[in-house]
Amino acid sequence: MSLKNCYNFKDFRNLAKKKLPSPIFHYIDGGSDDEATLRRNTESFNECDLVPNVLANVGKPDLTTTLFGRKIDMPIFLSPAAMQRLYHVDGDKASARAAEKFGTFYSMSSMSNNSIEEIANISGGPKLFQLYVHKDKSITDDLIDRSRRSGFDAMCLTVDTLVAGNREKDHKTGFTTPPKLTLKSLMSFAMRPNWVFNYLTGKKFELSNVKKKTDKGTNIAKSVIEYINEQYDPLMGWKDAEYCAKKWNGPFALKGVMSVEDAKKAVDIGCTAIMISNHGGRQLDGSRSPFDQVKAISDAVGDKLEIILDGGIRRGTHVLKALAAGAKACSFGKMFLFSLAAGGQQGVEHLLKNMHDEIYRNMVLMGCKSLKELNSSKLIYRK
Amino acid sequence: MILRLKDCHNFADFRKLAKLKLPSPIFHYIDGAADDEITYARNTSAFDDVDLVPNVLRGVEDVDLSTTIFGKKLDLPFYLSPTALQRLFHYDGERAVGKAAKKFNTMFGVSALATVSVEEISSMIDTPKMFQFYFHKDRGLNDSCLERAKAAKFDVMALTVDTITGGNRERDLRTGFTSPPKLTLASLFSFATKPMWGINYLTKGKFELPHLQDFVKEGTDVNSSIGNYFSTMLDQSMNWKDAENLCSKWGGHFALKGVMSVEDAKRAADIGCTGIMVSNHGGRQLDGSRAPFDQLAEIVDAVGDKLDVICEGGIHRGTHMLKALSLGAKACSGGRLYLYALAAGGQAGVERALEKYKAELVRDMKLMGCTKISDLSRNNLRFRT
Ligand SMILES: Cc1cc2nc3c(=O)[nH]c(=O)nc-3n(C[C@H](O)[C@H](O)[C@H](O)COP(=O)(O)O)c2cc1C
Ligand SMILES: Cc1cc2nc3c(=O)[nH]c(=O)nc-3n(C[C@H](O)[C@H](O)[C@H](O)COP(=O)(O)O)c2cc1C
Repeated sequence: MSLKNCYNFKDFRNLAKKKLPSPIFHYIDGGSDDEATLRRNTESFNECDLVPNVLANVGKPDLTTTLFGRKIDMPIFLSPAAMQRLYHVDGDKASARAAEKFGTFYSMSSMSNNSIEEIANISGGPKLFQLYVHKDKSITDDLIDRSRRSGFDAMCLTVDTLVAGNREKDHKTGFTTPPKLTLKSLMSFAMRPNWVFNYLTGKKFELSNVKKKTDKGTNIAKSVIEYINEQYDPLMGWKDAEYCAKKWNGPFALKGVMSVEDAKKAVDIGCTAIMISNHGGRQLDGSRSPFDQVKAISDAVGDKLEIILDGGIRRGTHVLKALAAGAKACSFGKMFLFSLAAGGQQGVEHLLKNMHDEIYRNMVLMGCKSLKELNSSKLIYRK
Repeated sequence: MILRLKDCHNFADFRKLAKLKLPSPIFHYIDGAADDEITYARNTSAFDDVDLVPNVLRGVEDVDLSTTIFGKKLDLPFYLSPTALQRLFHYDGERAVGKAAKKFNTMFGVSALATVSVEEISSMIDTPKMFQFYFHKDRGLNDSCLERAKAAKFDVMALTVDTITGGNRERDLRTGFTSPPKLTLASLFSFATKPMWGINYLTKGKFELPHLQDFVKEGTDVNSSIGNYFSTMLDQSMNWKDAENLCSKWGGHFALKGVMSVEDAKRAADIGCTGIMVSNHGGRQLDGSRAPFDQLAEIVDAVGDKLDVICEGGIHRGTHMLKALSLGAKACSGGRLYLYALAAGGQAGVERALEKYKAELVRDMKLMGCTKISDLSRNNLRFRT
């Protein structure tokens, strides 16, 4: 099995599974509790159907759109994801370069292993910074200032991670960062010498954006769960979000909004976008899937801010359905992380090419010339 | 274990025997569909969301299954959809399918990518025939297809409109399916373990695409995948004007194959079509698109009085057909419902499959308390909610 044979999500996932030590694979792959929400995120796309129009003279459909004030080449981008150096030695550099090549957003997590400055230096493509509100306000301020200085285009504040979700797979595999060798995980690491070699010989593992402010996540083996619970402020409220939006003073999104009510509040505090998301089923299990909720939110605030559907996307047709239901763009985490693990920058490029081709092909089959033509008349929900 | 035609009693049985007999790339070309094959599965499971409600004590000893579509009376309320490359599935290919269709007096759909010529088929069978047309970039090729089908006295022309570009058939990507079959290391094993298929393929006449071969190299000399054919040879700018022109040039019964939206169905009536096949190409093109049966009622309501509406795809059972006919389809059609049988046993296989479906239809009509197709109506159906 090689990158060449990766045609879809499952293939990238299988290849990633081969390459990664199992605690790391399961950190990406797992959701919280019984993973019911994780599954629903993708399954929800299957309860409605696309209705194509034929003989529509489509020619070459236009996949471009604008998001956060930038023109992008297709309506999908990479969600922010923590600690990408664990998945491939090149970490965020690989994702950022691949996204730039395909003319779309790369997102940087607060918990990235590369610094804001480092990525700004290697990529002139569209960039989104993902913020967590830390208990120590100076960390939050510092991240906002540095993102602005480094020319990031937009910022999103993640609001669904006040406490860490119950990721049972991580308990079982003993996932910590930096990875701790337990007897149980030793075998799995030992069987993937390439990964271990790259990990040990590459740059030192650190949470680059917060390393000056805290030694957490660098010196001691911390589980991500402990880190989140220790560093992030559970008292975060609408005032804090408004503070961040004002301080950033540019395209700003809340990531993890699920209720119509919250979406309206997001408009009120000056957000230009929201990411409808349950964190890929990694936080509150049993919560609603983004696709199930997108229409209600779009009906309420679709004309006031940009709606991004985040979570469960595995196929070009999922993107088409999300757009027909009212989203402006879609983002995905696991899918690109598996492609990153499978082949670094080349892997992510391969994935983005696949997704581009799927969206393109399916637009032709739908008889749509531009993304604007994807509206609710193209989608029928089964009874 | 199903080893002989005699053991085949339903769709699933024919499929199993076909799997046993065919090299795997060829089996998966028939069996596969686009992306995650969700639409493919829905095409059949859609029938399970509605139930039949029988009427009793009606005196049902003689059942008449005949229906009239495109001005032709068929003895069965279903016919055989056009499918490509039949000689890959059995060395007799279209000859076997055509003769079986004739025996049951139902319509035989012949693909533009058929491996036996329209002239030969027409000299062989005098029963109703449909020619399936692909709109190529090469207008000379288009004219030639049309003229030859007309000269061969085909009754209906069906223009396929859902293959503007090739579907993403991942099974074919993995097996390396090309036509004619290319031997890769991966597929070699599969061909080697099915020696009868290989011997027949090599000894029973050259593999050809008679409707295309004077115009192209693809599919004959070069190893070409079907996806490539769709994407490189078909005209992606095809529009309603082209369909209308073709319809009037043909001057006889004309159908669009692959219409799904009500809007398009109405336009089909406007440009002079006499029928439409509500179809998503057996789930082989746009995954996530609606199932024909799910969409049927809306289309029948909109245009059922203006043209013949045919429900195509996902049909495995007589009761599936009864449900579609009750909703208002004039007839049903399918590909895989006879293709596995063709692979399983050539003409005898297709005849056995048709016999089975016919017996099911007769039995189920009796159980429903109906003696003719026009007895079926929406009163017989209840949708679960
Ligand atoms: C391994 C991993 C790490 C993640 N890290 C972060 C993060 O640091 N910040 C954040 O806002 N979201 C994070 N997410 C959530 C993603 O941004 C995104 O919401 C989610 O992956 C979408 O669901 P999908 O994986 O089904 O596409 C992470 C997701 C994964 C799988
Ligand atoms: C192996 C195979 C080849 C096909 N070739 C053609 C073709 O050449 N032209 C066409 O219009 N449809 C073609 N189709 C689609 C069928 O006409 C029909 O729409 C489909 O098989 C219906 O779904 P079913 O197989 O579930 O009955 C093909 C289908 C299969 C399975």
